[in-house]
Amino acid sequence: MLERHIPFTRVERPDPSEEAAGARARLAGKFPRNSLRRMTHLGLLTGAALDGVAVDADDAVVYATTYAETRTLEDFLASFPAASPLLFQSSIHPSAVQQVLIGRQQPIRRFWPVTGRRRLVESALLAALMEPAPRVVFTGGEERGRWLLQRDMASGQTFAFGIVLTKDPAGARGGIRFQPGGIAPDEPCPTLLAFAEAVERRDALRWRGAGGEWSLEWR
Amino acid sequence: MSPIADLLPTGIRACGCLTPFGGAEATVAALLDGRRALQLRPVLGPDGGDCVPIALMDSKDMAETLPPRWLPALRTLAGAIPPGTWGSTRHPVVVTSSNFGVGSLYAYLGSRDAGHLRHGAPFACVELLQDEFGWGEQVHVFSHACVSAHIGLMHATRLLQAEIADSVLVFSFDFVSPFVAGGFHSLKILNSELPAPYAARATGSIGLGDGAAFAVLTCEPTPFRIEAQALHNEMHHFTGNRADGSGFAACAETIAAAAGGRRVWVKGHGTGTLEAGRLEAETYARVLPGAPLVSWKGSLGHTLGSCGLVELALTVESMRLGRAPGTIGSTAPCFTETVALTPFATAGYAGVVVASNAFGGAHAALLLSHA
Repeated sequence: MLERHIPFTRVERPDPSEEAAGARARLAGKFPRNSLRRMTHLGLLTGAALDGVAVDADDAVVYATTYAETRTLEDFLASFPAASPLLFQSSIHPSAVQQVLIGRQQPIRRFWPVTGRRRLVESALLAALMEPAPRVVFTGGEERGRWLLQRDMASGQTFAFGIVLTKDPAGARGGIRFQPGGIAPDEPCPTLLAFAEAVERRDALRWRGAGGEWSLEWR
Repeated sequence: MSPIADLLPTGIRACGCLTPFGGAEATVAALLDGRRALQLRPVLGPDGGDCVPIALMDSKDMAETLPPRWLPALRTLAGAIPPGTWGSTRHPVVVTSSNFGVGSLYAYLGSRDAGHLRHGAPFACVELLQDEFGWGEQVHVFSHACVSAHIGLMHATRLLQAEIADSVLVFSFDFVSPFVAGGFHSLKILNSELPAPYAARATGSIGLGDGAAFAVLTCEPTPFRIEAQALHNEMHHFTGNRADGSGFAACAETIAAAAGGRRVWVKGHGTGTLEAGRLEAETYARVLPGAPLVSWKGSLGHTLGSCGLVELALTVESMRLGRAPGTIGSTAPCFTETVALTPFATAGYAGVVVASNAFGGAHAALLLSHA
């Protein structure tokens, strides 16, 4: 069985009307000023979800997102034919976490940026549970799109979460487990938003996938 | 940080790639001949712009088509993958890319043809491949700019070592589009000069190239194996490295320790940028003294998130052939004397370090050897 304990969680779910500029004003105190002006909405929320979480160089970071920097992608496309260098680099996966850790000037050894849709949460959790690092920071989120959302190519909601996963059960509020085995077919994997909502509400989750049984439980 | 590589030996049951020259055998032959696939082409393809070095697999000049121009090439590549129940629980697929089908979004804005949107997002692109190739649901997707393929290889290794999988197909592809060429051009590193990796010259430049590759990894004994893998993320600057080279050193020292003093050569990242090229060359000259350093991006261009897997397949083919291509496009003086400008025999080398770097100061390296 692969297992990690959860001593820390935070979920950022801003008012649906919030835009990047609003988040920048709301969260200004959490970021270095020279980083703040270039941060995307998702980068700001990811940073807020990890606020107070000291990331060590030997920690591993797992990042999950289906759509990533949707707004920046839309703006970069709009910048052609004079493509914007700033929007180009910010639109590249996995920009949100890099915005946060570059702001902190915090190197890390292993960084797992996971994408996809149907089994995204499962892939990301597998990456986290297989990590030899004693401490794994699991973060993820989305930002609400504009024209891409109208074409079902973006998230309808803006959110981010941060979870610390440890091997040490001391102080744990919950845990995530994967028990390999069995031959039953896979069940639908929770979406990234459903996972974030479960973390926020401390709801338990159970499903079957990747050849085993998954459980998210709280104490 | 403790300099410990992932020492999880993993066999390569099969691997292959596609470049503008063709498969791995044809590509290595072209590289040994010193041929360049890069040609000066308009940066925005049919929409024009400055001419920059781009290497394409077809003659469509980056025109976004329906179906996308990368799909026929990927069908060809997929034909070389050993048959299997790919995407099943015991035989998962790991897909990596930095671009996926993002060029289709640029095409949509120009044409307003909604057909382009069907594969514009990474998930949509991967789901298209699942349908196309009959892969099951167990498909893991990673995107970490130009070290994406290395991330996929390490994840695959862990799935095997955790005994969650029996074999893993790692599949990676990146095709140049006006979207990505325009982006690199905006950063001024994609200009009218052909790249000359590791050459000490006045202006740095890169080229971009189409590339796709696969590898089937297994714990079973195979002729070639990945002995160790290392990652490091500087998180210093989006497009620059720490000036003291500590980011390069963190990854290179780790993989050099795994080599354990054996004689190896280095297939470096070497895109043609000056500062990163100098730091990379100096670092490997220090941690692996005397190890020949080559880059093939002066011919093939930078195949972006897929470069680690494309160049792994070319490295395997070079070892199989017993001859490694030199650093095409470059001439002396170079940043270090270890830069190999001409082909050399691989006999006598115990292995190869295959290294890649990416935005955000990401570094990845693996140690490939004969089993």
